[in-house]
Amino acid sequence: MAVDVAVADAARPVRARRRFAIRPLLKPKIVLGGAIVLTLIVAGALAPWLAPFDPNAQNLDLALKPPQWLLGPHILGTDAVGRDILARLFYGARVSLVIAVMVVLISGVIGVTLGAISGYFAGIVDFLIQKLVEVVWAFPPLLLAIAIMAFLGQGLRNLILALVMQRWISYCRVARGQALSLRTREFVDAARALGASNTRIIVRHIVPNLFQSAVVIGTFAMASAIISEAALSFLGLGVPPEIPTWGSMLADGRTYISTSWWLALFPGLCIFFTVLGINLLGDGLRDLLDPRLKRSGTGMG
Amino acid sequence: MAGYLLRRVIGTIPVILLITSLVFLLIHAAPGDPADLLLSDQATSQDIAEARHRWGLDQPFYVQYSRFIVNVLKGDFGTSFRYSDPVITVIGERLPATVELAIVSLLIAIALGLPLGVWAGAKPNSWADNLGSFFGFFGISMPNFWFGIMLILVVAGYLNWLPSSGRSTYGIARGSETGFYIVASLLAGNFLAAWDGVRHIILPAVALGTNMMGIIMRVTRSAVLEVMHEDFVRTARAKGVAESTVLWRHVLRNALVPVITVAGLELGTLLSGSIIVETVFAWPGSGSLLISAIESRDYPLITGTVIIYTLAFVAINFMIDILYGFVDPRIRFGK
Amino acid sequence: MSWKRSAIAFAAVVAALGANAQRATAGGRVAIGVTETIASYDPYADSVSLAYGIWCQVLGCLGVYDFSKSDYVGMLAESWEVDKADPTIWTFHLRHGLKRQNDGKELTADDVVFSFNRVNTDPASQQKQNVAPVKEMSAVDKYTVRVVTKEPTASLLEYLFDRFIITGKDLYEKYGANEADRKYLWGWGPYKLKELQIGQRIVLEKDSANPQVKPENPDTIIFTIMREPEQRVTALLNNEIQVAEFIPPQLAQRVREAKNARLVESSSVEIMFLAMSPKHRPWDNVKLRQAVCYAINRDAIIKSILAGQADRLDGPIGPAQYSYDANYAKTNLYIPYDPAKAKELVKESGYTGEPVDLYTPVGRYIDDKEVTQAMIPMLNAVGINARLRTPEWATLWADVQKGKTAFYYMGRGSVVDPSPALSQYFETGGSPRIGLSDPSIDKALAAERVEFDPTSRKKELNVAFKAIEDAAPACFMWSHRMLHGISNTIEFEPDPTGRIFGTHIVVKQ
Repeated sequence: MAVDVAVADAARPVRARRRFAIRPLLKPKIVLGGAIVLTLIVAGALAPWLAPFDPNAQNLDLALKPPQWLLGPHILGTDAVGRDILARLFYGARVSLVIAVMVVLISGVIGVTLGAISGYFAGIVDFLIQKLVEVVWAFPPLLLAIAIMAFLGQGLRNLILALVMQRWISYCRVARGQALSLRTREFVDAARALGASNTRIIVRHIVPNLFQSAVVIGTFAMASAIISEAALSFLGLGVPPEIPTWGSMLADGRTYISTSWWLALFPGLCIFFTVLGINLLGDGLRDLLDPRLKRSGTGMG
Repeated sequence: MAGYLLRRVIGTIPVILLITSLVFLLIHAAPGDPADLLLSDQATSQDIAEARHRWGLDQPFYVQYSRFIVNVLKGDFGTSFRYSDPVITVIGERLPATVELAIVSLLIAIALGLPLGVWAGAKPNSWADNLGSFFGFFGISMPNFWFGIMLILVVAGYLNWLPSSGRSTYGIARGSETGFYIVASLLAGNFLAAWDGVRHIILPAVALGTNMMGIIMRVTRSAVLEVMHEDFVRTARAKGVAESTVLWRHVLRNALVPVITVAGLELGTLLSGSIIVETVFAWPGSGSLLISAIESRDYPLITGTVIIYTLAFVAINFMIDILYGFVDPRIRFGK
Repeated sequence: MSWKRSAIAFAAVVAALGANAQRATAGGRVAIGVTETIASYDPYADSVSLAYGIWCQVLGCLGVYDFSKSDYVGMLAESWEVDKADPTIWTFHLRHGLKRQNDGKELTADDVVFSFNRVNTDPASQQKQNVAPVKEMSAVDKYTVRVVTKEPTASLLEYLFDRFIITGKDLYEKYGANEADRKYLWGWGPYKLKELQIGQRIVLEKDSANPQVKPENPDTIIFTIMREPEQRVTALLNNEIQVAEFIPPQLAQRVREAKNARLVESSSVEIMFLAMSPKHRPWDNVKLRQAVCYAINRDAIIKSILAGQADRLDGPIGPAQYSYDANYAKTNLYIPYDPAKAKELVKESGYTGEPVDLYTPVGRYIDDKEVTQAMIPMLNAVGINARLRTPEWATLWADVQKGKTAFYYMGRGSVVDPSPALSQYFETGGSPRIGLSDPSIDKALAAERVEFDPTSRKKELNVAFKAIEDAAPACFMWSHRMLHGISNTIEFEPDPTGRIFGTHIVVKQ
């Protein structure tokens, strides 16, 4: 992943940390990105109230209707069994949101924990964990997810597991770097002398320093999780059919691409704009919070 | 330096073995029986049992595994269940297509991303910067399989400018389409075939390269931004060197290092992205081969392809590490 | 001025090159976009429909089923009969003077016997099931083959014709399997194998010396793999191919509207059904199974999702298949869409509302996910708490083969004479896929198997159909109409098996 370049940069002096202020938050990237992400969250959270139809309500007589825009009830058209596309997009936002947030949180917790432990204790623990990191990282990204889904089968839990499998590494590296650099500082010795347990030291001193990097990594990880979910659904390895996701809508729409273009266009646009918004937001936040990560391009993968 | 390299090389071997073992374990544990899938649905259970025996699948797992590892270490990746040919041969026939696609995608990404990044970085917050950044964000946010589908729909479907899939048109290709089609045709003087190859590769390469283009653009931009403030740039300007020379000769050369580093690191993503793009465009490469091997549980073909992909991945990262080591002495000598 | 002119010239060259590519496949060359591929040089190592079609016309088959005549016609064999005294003995008379491609060697009974042995002993053979009923084959004389079946098998031709490939004994013994398969695939068929690129394309060349070919048949046929339907349709419209196999219903209109091609519909020999295994609760209750058949509105699904491109099945087979009796089907086998009756049956069955999963593959059959999706609300409406599951094919097939899947949507292809298929799915001990054991079905199928008189056999088969519908281990849905896109430069009527024979194609001058 690109972010390990940041670990190399960790040796450089950190620029003065900025105060938490409102003005810097008003940069266009953050505003635009934030607006898009907010729309996603609202759409997903309020889907049951905002969606014009039940996303699973079929109507064979109204199958494959083109978008009626503002002239009819099915604003963005219907799919092959007559389900409303717009409604499914709303519920798809919900699922994408849930998946993205869960993946980011779980991989964040796992990654930070393993990284902090790895860096703090060093020695054999560090060696083993880093070997694990190497193995997981050397796996061509999509393959691992495909293998896991093929093995475990359909399901939301399995999908989240498959997506978490490779995403915890970025957090791990940053946490490890942070832990490595901090473990030799005097205040750690002092805390230990005062009888603080290792856990307490890790939690109270190392983890808070990671917050800003974690936020930045988190936003990019969210974006890539959404795309990976779509890719897996596209290959038929996603969630079961009663859960509408943008990726499976895309996969379904592919067979009808030349005759019913709206089936594939709208979910794809949703994915694109959501990811764009998250990337803008992440980029803006990174400019603000952690310029050290600037050189690594993005966290896409 | 040599010692460092050697240590790194030796260090990657257990990683590759571990990954291979993991894949072996996963696919054998996965539901699905290769004999069932490859034989016709009218085959008797006896035929299926015979096939399983022929493929060694009725042996206990540890026997299959040890045989597999020993063979891999000898360089024998086994025989494909489906194609009855050695896995290396089967993959070898499809690999050039993937490599060709990857190279062309990379070229497109660099050809677009690099200049855009340089212009954006040279004049931050100008229209060049905004335009370039637009491309940058577009590139990194675009799901490549959806972009591929849209390209097929619009460019191949509506506009009919380019073919929608495949790698070559029969009758023009004359047999050279399994290797490096474009280059081989050029060398043979068959310009019609070379052009046919180019027409077929454009859409998949654009779909695949867009992501990388975005990344290169953004990394270049930030690298150029940093370098622009260096003293030597001011010196050059003071000496009266033309602005474009300053930009393209002095700034770019220094900005290239992080760009190459990141591009190299993202090559792995390109490799796995090619799997999906090949599926969308019916591109006959090793990526689509892998997908169909997984669908038919062709165990030797799956493990063989994964090994090769992992090797490539590891090799690329290794080379980047070396490059980075050369550039940044702290890494070379430090821990 | 100079760069503008060069730009125009460049554009002209580009356009010309592009147009050139499109005209490249006119004349006596016919390119066909197919969905399957041959995976090996060994003609016995594949069991896909495409392979049989190709090897039959290159190497040769004893005979084929002629749909225009609704009967079997001989290809390498010119006649055959069953021994009146002992119905396990069949005698096939080969045509005289059939000269092989390239070296003119005549076909003899020894080659047929050799081929039979090779099917059974070749380690890579995937065609054993085609000769499964045969106990032994022997050469009576140069042109006569004696076939002894294990038991009386009225449907023997369904196994042997179209699928039993004849190869030359002498070439195999002289060169060995490897070289014979790669360099000496010479046969008695009307087309020679010119090129075989595994997984990519197969090129055939007309053998003008063969009496079966006419001058207007294409000189060269190229089967090129194009798995995606969009790919095939686009290639057809661009004149890259002249035949696009298996157009899905949603693309039918595009082909109809094309100026250079037309859409040809024909019936297929694949039957689609919902299987319910009595080995799994709640499907052990026959009333619940019968309820499903009344609950599905097949006509609505055919009309909307399948765009009318399917024929409802009343009974296990349709008009294109052997022994179909339209009257009998209408009066005895037709199950109407009747949700009220279905609800009643559900209640009578004592079904307690537990969730049941309907399994379907995705992308394996036409619109499989969509049609099963549409079935879910129909099942729910009659009180069956159904949910759709779309596992990967490998996983689903593994479970179906083991009999672990209780309720699934599936197709059975290549059903011309239905006897082998029905036996496989519905007879006791057939295959574990459904696991039904019903004595009246067993009795009916056993009876038809030994009935050699066609009229009586047809009656027996229809009795079997009724028994199967009463026991309801499956609800027969439809058989998809096969859609082909055919270029206007050729005349060609597709065969319901999907096989494409060069001798059926006429290139218009």
